[in-house]
Amino acid sequence: MFRLGLKLIFLILVIVALSGCWDTKDIDHRLLPVTMGISKEDEEYQVILQVPEPVEGQIENRIIKETGQTITKTIDTLSENMESQVDLLHVKVIVIDKQLAKEGVEDVISGFMRSRDVSSHALITICDENIDQFFNEVSSNLDVNAVNLFEFFEKNAGWTPQIALTRVWHVYRSIHSYTHDVAVPIVVSEGSTNIRHLGSAVMKKGKMVESLTPDETLLFNAFNGKSAQGRVEAMDHASVLIISNTTNTRSDVIKDEPSLEKVINLKVVLLETKGDPTIELIKEELIIILTDRFDRMFAKLQESEADILGLGQHFRSNMPREELREWRYKYYKKLKVKFIVEIDVQNTGFLKSKSSE
Amino acid sequence: MISFSKKYIYKKKVEIMGFNTLVNIPKTKEILQEYPNDVNMSEIDDFLATIGELKEKNIDDAVKAIFEGKLIVCSSTGKYVVVDPIPQELNRSIEPPSNENVLQGSQSSFIEDIDTNIGLIRKEKASEKLCVKSYSLGKRQNKKMALLYLDDKVNKDTLAEIQNQIEKNLKKELHNQQDMSTIMGFSPWLTMAKFRTSELPSEVVNKLFQGRVVLFIDRLPNAFILLGLLWDMFTVENDYNYPYPLMILIRALRVVGLLATLLVPGLYVALVAVNPGVLRIEMALSIAQSRQGVPYPALVEVLLMLIILELILEASVRLPKSIGPTITMVGGIILGQAIVDAKLVSNLLIIILAATTIANFTIVGVQNSLSIRLYKYLIVIFASIYGVFGLLAGIFFIIAYLASLRTFGVSYLNFNVERDVLKGE
Repeated sequence: MFRLGLKLIFLILVIVALSGCWDTKDIDHRLLPVTMGISKEDEEYQVILQVPEPVEGQIENRIIKETGQTITKTIDTLSENMESQVDLLHVKVIVIDKQLAKEGVEDVISGFMRSRDVSSHALITICDENIDQFFNEVSSNLDVNAVNLFEFFEKNAGWTPQIALTRVWHVYRSIHSYTHDVAVPIVVSEGSTNIRHLGSAVMKKGKMVESLTPDETLLFNAFNGKSAQGRVEAMDHASVLIISNTTNTRSDVIKDEPSLEKVINLKVVLLETKGDPTIELIKEELIIILTDRFDRMFAKLQESEADILGLGQHFRSNMPREELREWRYKYYKKLKVKFIVEIDVQNTGFLKSKSSE
Repeated sequence: MISFSKKYIYKKKVEIMGFNTLVNIPKTKEILQEYPNDVNMSEIDDFLATIGELKEKNIDDAVKAIFEGKLIVCSSTGKYVVVDPIPQELNRSIEPPSNENVLQGSQSSFIEDIDTNIGLIRKEKASEKLCVKSYSLGKRQNKKMALLYLDDKVNKDTLAEIQNQIEKNLKKELHNQQDMSTIMGFSPWLTMAKFRTSELPSEVVNKLFQGRVVLFIDRLPNAFILLGLLWDMFTVENDYNYPYPLMILIRALRVVGLLATLLVPGLYVALVAVNPGVLRIEMALSIAQSRQGVPYPALVEVLLMLIILELILEASVRLPKSIGPTITMVGGIILGQAIVDAKLVSNLLIIILAATTIANFTIVGVQNSLSIRLYKYLIVIFASIYGVFGLLAGIFFIIAYLASLRTFGVSYLNFNVERDVLKGE
């Protein structure tokens, strides 16, 4: 028993000696930024952090910024000059300057994925104005609620289906995938709501090549089955609420000509009507407006060679990998998409609407 | 105080011997006097032979009998007989249980007297299958121990092993549960209870029906149910007095209680010191805010508070009932706002500790809840070193330890002992 005790004591001592445990920092000695802004000027990155800080029982936003050759170096310099260590684990939103997005974010995103400082789950957005100004506006004008920008995108808070939700790992995947690109939301600080959503940027291999309007983004989300609770204006006669969204795809390659049929089933609820339209009329209008919008968006996307809808995914089993490499440039442009919308008006609200007869 | 008195029974002189602290002498004499007159009692020895076995010149045996509380009636010829007298009333009466609360079930509990306890079991379960084996242990003193089992339920191999173990150690002294552990051949370094203790006859009868073996020791008001298993930590017999869904919920609650006790303090340390990234940002900020100005690292903070809490628990066991409320009040003040106001610990920790302590006492069995209290520290230390991973490592070690325990060949983690082991036939 004595020898066992000796062994145990030895083991416990080993735990303490081997772990190097006491370099952990308690939560109150860490700076936990929620939003991170990145822009690039003359080969130097500028990093802006929005840090919520508890001050006398209230949370106050603090903006800190630094420039440096690399992002990690910049964060390091910030840590050096702050009283606490900067801990990027809680960064929820990364705001990228539009100029940088156009130049390409491959280095930045790869850096994040490699160092794992930033959670790969963090959201990416693009800011269509001076990033300094954006941060100042957002943090000074909004109330002291520290996490506002993050909540704008949070699915259980301020997110709406008009906003594309794209995370760091999505962008990373798009950089390395032959067949899948991403849409990234574009925001500016403007108007009485402080943040204004302008639509989405189409990122092809980490570079911004095109932009979509919010309505097109809704369609993009519908395409991925994520548009529930989105409101759609149906021409002049009615607006509807999408309550359920399922999709169905069939793909085929005939003589190097890829074609695809996408059926989107939308279950909708009538919200507002103008005049006295029949349900059939509303359905028809909705189908026309969505199909038109899709065709226009798809033409735009084909032009930019960016496959944000991930249509190439459906052909991965149909062509060899060498061919797949050429997907964006060779096949995507030739792709024929038959877009079918099926609408089911489930509920006309508390008022009866006219049916066709 | 030994009492020798000379007395005439039916005009013959006899001596009676016994402790008047153990024997109610006047009442016993009265009964002796009441023996029928019509038998012709010419010889006193013949008469004595009718009330017991007549013995001669066996001093050791006589002394032993006297120490066991018997009465010796000795005739002038030097022959004597051992009589079971009316004993002095030295036992408390059967009372409601003091350590195990019963909400809807039977309220009687065991007392110190082993015969009364066995009687309680017989009353609860009148079955010809109930077997009682008595042992007397120890060299210097004779401690009575009884082994109970249901003949048709018990596994014969296990029973034989237990009996063997007892018979091997008949010379060992038996005073307390530690001695009991040694006699049963368990390591004294075990923290988990290898026998379940209970002071409720209904509980014991239920376990007998499951085929387990029950031990009683004289002067200990508990039954020791052999083959204590992990699942015993979550079940009491009284659960069966509720409908099925309620019973399942109550038991689930105890499992949650166990996990909460083990994990919550460790989780606090892990999340505050090592892995704050796991928290939601709102939570992280409010914890950071509540820890503003706290001088110690999370581990020290938690250990400090846990130790104060253990002191309060220990003190409230020690204190007489009349000044018990004092400790509640003082403890409440320390654990309440004062220590937070003094910025020694964060107020979140107070919530954590309260939750831990409350959860701790949902576990069935005093020894079980004590050992869980101990394991909690292991997890706290692991968590302070390795964070959330440390929690996992700690749990892993605890489970590995529990899995290594075997009682008479039955794993401690056996969840269906009736099906797997005990059903003998």
